[in-house]
Amino acid sequence: MYRDRKLRICLAASAGGHMSQLLKLRECWKGHRTFYVTTADIVREKLQKYGEVFVIGECNREHPLWVITVLFRCIRIIRRERPDVIVSTGAAPGLLMCLSGKFFGSKVAWIDSIANVERLSLSGRMAKTFADLFLTQWPELARPHRNVEYVGAVI
Amino acid sequence: MIFLTVGTQFPFDRLVKSVDEALGQNGFKEEVLAQIGHTFYQPRNFEAVCSLDRHIFDRYIRQASHIISHAGIGTITMALDNNKPLLVMPRRKCFREHVNDHQVATARKFEQLGHILVAHQENELPTKMGQLRTFMPRKREAQPHAVAERIAQFLHELNVTKE
Repeated sequence: MYRDRKLRICLAASAGGHMSQLLKLRECWKGHRTFYVTTADIVREKLQKYGEVFVIGECNREHPLWVITVLFRCIRIIRRERPDVIVSTGAAPGLLMCLSGKFFGSKVAWIDSIANVERLSLSGRMAKTFADLFLTQWPELARPHRNVEYVGAVI
Repeated sequence: MIFLTVGTQFPFDRLVKSVDEALGQNGFKEEVLAQIGHTFYQPRNFEAVCSLDRHIFDRYIRQASHIISHAGIGTITMALDNNKPLLVMPRRKCFREHVNDHQVATARKFEQLGHILVAHQENELPTKMGQLRTFMPRKREAQPHAVAERIAQFLHELNVTKE
């Protein structure tokens, strides 16, 4: 008989569209112990209704220095919270959270943002190399890749 | 009321300026409320703020008769969820409005599906603003439960292997 242990789950997404997609999936981690990681204070209040929130700041490929700063913040959170799983919809900060988690033994589930309609996002293509579950929201993007699944669109 | 919103990560001068100029011309008498982030251009024909408190933002979305924005998925989702006619202008990398051109493809896809109107260039904006008044967005059928179920299954499998 299975006894469903509560998992410690890290839910990581940039403020804005990435986070609105992640929040549409709320039902699937009900009963587990979760915390949120996002990029801007403006969503903190909204997320606090659902659990603990860490704000790691914005970063993108244009600013390598911010990437390093955010990466260190991610590592600090992972080492303190020790999540079993990271679930992320991107973007770059979400990828850094997944990467840090993977390094310390977490499993990774990546849902590529619906905004990427012609090819997987850059963060997604990187996450694909180590993710344990990888979902896209467009059927035509799942076809050319192994390990990329399409089961539907979140929005 | 038209709600104009461009997000906060990058400035979006082209959109704010085009809307401002369209309003300066004849025929557009609607009130505009705007959230323009770090956009440098200061509109003359409507009030604009940098960012909005979450509650006020949600209220503006609900109260707006029409919405104009960048082609960000956050705003597209909110407009579709609230059944509001939305006109977007995609952010472009060459104008330093985003890190890449993915908004062009997003906008085109949602336009093809009949969910939104798109002004691909500044000069299309006044015409599209006219069309927006009578535009009826097609309702979107999404499958969030199927995706949530797949993740729940993944979490369950992890639990089993952990024991």
